[in-house]
Amino acid sequence: MNYMPGTASLIEDIDKKHLVLLRDGRTLIGILRSIDQFANLVLHQTVERIHVGKKFGDIPRGIFVVRGENVVLLGEVDLDKDCDQILQRVSIEEILEEQRIEQQAKQEAERRKLQTVKERGLSIPKADTLDDF
Amino acid sequence: MFRFQSLDEDCTLEEEEEGLIEEEDDIDQFNEDTFGAGAVDDDWQEEHARLAQLDERVRDGLAGGDASSAPLPPPPGSVPLPSSLPRPPTSTLPPPGLEERGGGDLALSLTRLLLGSDPAIAGVGAAEPDRSCFPPMPQAPPSGLSGPSSSLLSYQQHQHILHRGGVPLPQVNSHSIWENNMGFGPVSVSPGLVTHMEDSPLMSIMKEVGLPKRPLPIRGEDGLDLSERVPPPRSSSPVIGSPPVRAVPIGTPPKQPLSHALNQQIHCPTAVHVRAPVQHRYPPPFPERLSPNTLLNIANAPLCRPPFPPGVGPVLSQIQRAQLLNSQVGPFPCGGPAPPMLPGGGGGFRPFFSQPPPRVGPHAAPPNHNPIRHNTTHLHPQHRRMLTQRMQSRGDRGGRGGDRRSRDPYSNLMTQKEKEWVARIQMMQLQSTDPYLDDYYYQNYYEKMEKRLERDKDSSRKEPTTKLITPQVAKLEQTYRPVQFAGSLGKLTVSSVNNPRKMIDAVVTTRTDDEEKREKQVWNKRRQILYIVEKMYSLLLEVQDFEKKFLQTPEEQREALLEQHKTHTLQLYNSLKEKEWDDRVSDEQCLMIMSVRKGKRLISRLLPFLPPPQAAAVIMGIARNLPALAKKDKQDQVLCWLVEPVAVVIQAMSSSALTDLLQELQGSEGQLPRVLQNKFGVTLLYLILSEGERMQSSDPNCQLMDDNRWTELVFSVTRELLKVPSSSLSPPLFTPPNLLSLFSRYVDRQRLELLQEKLQITALSR
Repeated sequence: MNYMPGTASLIEDIDKKHLVLLRDGRTLIGILRSIDQFANLVLHQTVERIHVGKKFGDIPRGIFVVRGENVVLLGEVDLDKDCDQILQRVSIEEILEEQRIEQQAKQEAERRKLQTVKERGLSIPKADTLDDF
Repeated sequence: MFRFQSLDEDCTLEEEEEGLIEEEDDIDQFNEDTFGAGAVDDDWQEEHARLAQLDERVRDGLAGGDASSAPLPPPPGSVPLPSSLPRPPTSTLPPPGLEERGGGDLALSLTRLLLGSDPAIAGVGAAEPDRSCFPPMPQAPPSGLSGPSSSLLSYQQHQHILHRGGVPLPQVNSHSIWENNMGFGPVSVSPGLVTHMEDSPLMSIMKEVGLPKRPLPIRGEDGLDLSERVPPPRSSSPVIGSPPVRAVPIGTPPKQPLSHALNQQIHCPTAVHVRAPVQHRYPPPFPERLSPNTLLNIANAPLCRPPFPPGVGPVLSQIQRAQLLNSQVGPFPCGGPAPPMLPGGGGGFRPFFSQPPPRVGPHAAPPNHNPIRHNTTHLHPQHRRMLTQRMQSRGDRGGRGGDRRSRDPYSNLMTQKEKEWVARIQMMQLQSTDPYLDDYYYQNYYEKMEKRLERDKDSSRKEPTTKLITPQVAKLEQTYRPVQFAGSLGKLTVSSVNNPRKMIDAVVTTRTDDEEKREKQVWNKRRQILYIVEKMYSLLLEVQDFEKKFLQTPEEQREALLEQHKTHTLQLYNSLKEKEWDDRVSDEQCLMIMSVRKGKRLISRLLPFLPPPQAAAVIMGIARNLPALAKKDKQDQVLCWLVEPVAVVIQAMSSSALTDLLQELQGSEGQLPRVLQNKFGVTLLYLILSEGERMQSSDPNCQLMDDNRWTELVFSVTRELLKVPSSSLSPPLFTPPNLLSLFSRYVDRQRLELLQEKLQITALSR
């Protein structure tokens, strides 16, 4: 039974493992169980995967209900291809630590950039009025 | 009911009487359920007067009144209350009464008081003798009623009296509403209970309202029990496209706790076996009995139909459900191979079972699928073919995946019906009355693809090119009139998916097209140019669509359409040309328009539609201003868009015009080198020369050689071409083949060879 031929419909993706990228930058991997017309998703046995460099860590989260507007993209995961080949799986604590370090480094770089720019008399407008991230 | 009558007098029914009355009934029903029968809309002044009168009577009647509490406090005390609370003063009285409970006296006094204060009841006329004197005191002896909770008591008393009084009409109204909407019906009270009717307030409710029919544990098509997933009842306005209004709005506390409370408090001599409405928490999503109105709604708006079959059964635990589902999973292939086509009705999913249906997967078809078919758009036949091929290739791969899925205990949480529901909603968005308007690119893309396939393949293909027929979907009611209730302030807060609440009454004011206003607004030069270009574009689009429209209009109107077309074309040209001269294009206009990328595109699209002399004038203008244009085009580099239409025009030009054009191109001093620097310029030059050569070679009588202009011009061109360094000579878009023969006419061998080398024209060049 082919639903919506020629369109992008999620009906065919139900009960398959998906990777969902959210607007806030999170990556969720779960089995897509249910959808609706707004592409709100119900993910089952969801795992939040944090990537830092070549390492990644999974945090099991259970059932997720994601509002459709917060999804950037999603795609089916090929269960045959093992992700451990290219990337290295680490423990949750380690990956969180890595993430924290990365965040810090980023903030530090940003601060320094702002500093140097200010020294030169320029100013970069803050993007806080724009849309997220 | 009496309070409805009073409402009727107050409000002005501007809209349909029937509908409004129904809604008012509904509202009051809601009110009642939410607040209890205390929410009576009565006049406090009237009531105060009555109470005052009663009070006098009481004072006269009762000797040495035990009126420890002043006779009048209740009425005045209660007077400000109706304004603040929706409840009448009755709400305040019971608590003090209950506190001073004097045994069985309380209930009677309360009864009398409440009954008296309720103007509706008072107005009944079927007065009992003891009703005439109502002591405001809570100390008068009650009738045989025990003390139930206040609000309910008053309501019940009300009902009770109504039964006694036997007021017919409004009740029937409420009956009918409830029957239609809730599937409740008045329950026939068993004879054993009748005698206790007076005693048991609940019974009166039951008689009035009826118990909700206990929904049978009907299994869904997939053997699912969906009761636990029934959504709460939607409260929405009763217009087309919405489900019918529920009698019980969202937020109503379920009657369960109330009935429990009642049960505890009723001290009936005989145990009244009340079948408390346990299942009442969510009434069935679809009424058992459908009124024709709701049927129409179903037919017209698939959105309103929730994905669950009516009459859902009791709850299944997750495990049980999973087990159930497991057994069902088998026949569901999930992307299996395409089986032979089923005729129209298979599978219950309407939109793709048109003639001929592309592919249908076998699946557990529900036996009682929805017979109502919704209008949908058909796919383009080319599209369908492609999809069939794709499906088939995927089907081979999908077999292995299906095996894995059968071991998943949580699969098929989303039922077939739910999937269809979502898909149907998505398909609704594709319905259109004018496919060329709504989905222009899709249509064009597939048409082009078809044409390409036809060109590439042999025409031995037997498959006929089918025309796409899209059904004309009748436009549904467009205007949304927000449901208003007369006498209420502002708009409804309830809205459904189909009729979202209109928040602001925004009125669109169109500006008159004054010249001054436009001038004032459009101050920016570039904006002005774009504005002009926009206007021309809209004209151009009209002109372009002319052909299609022409075919569609009937014979009589074709003349008018033709005239219109001519005017448009003329207008287009007029906007380009000089004010005074008809055959010359205004330089500034031209420059202005062509300085914008959009303008260049416009001109390129415009040229085919202009009559030859006008088109020639445009090209002259371009040629004249080519250096300036070239300079402005440095960023965009889109002058080359013009090559094709220009080529067409040139080929239709007369020899004198051609000569003129060549002259224009060389016009001022030093123009030609600059022309040669620009790709488009070179191409244009070549086009002209090629055309001239064609003329000469094909037609021996051609007038090109009549005056020496052409020859001279060509000489100067060749001189220039030889003089100009190769670096500043831009390669053209293409080199016409007959240039060589042209040059061979005018130059000697040596120069010819030089030219050949420079311009890289060989006898075989394209």
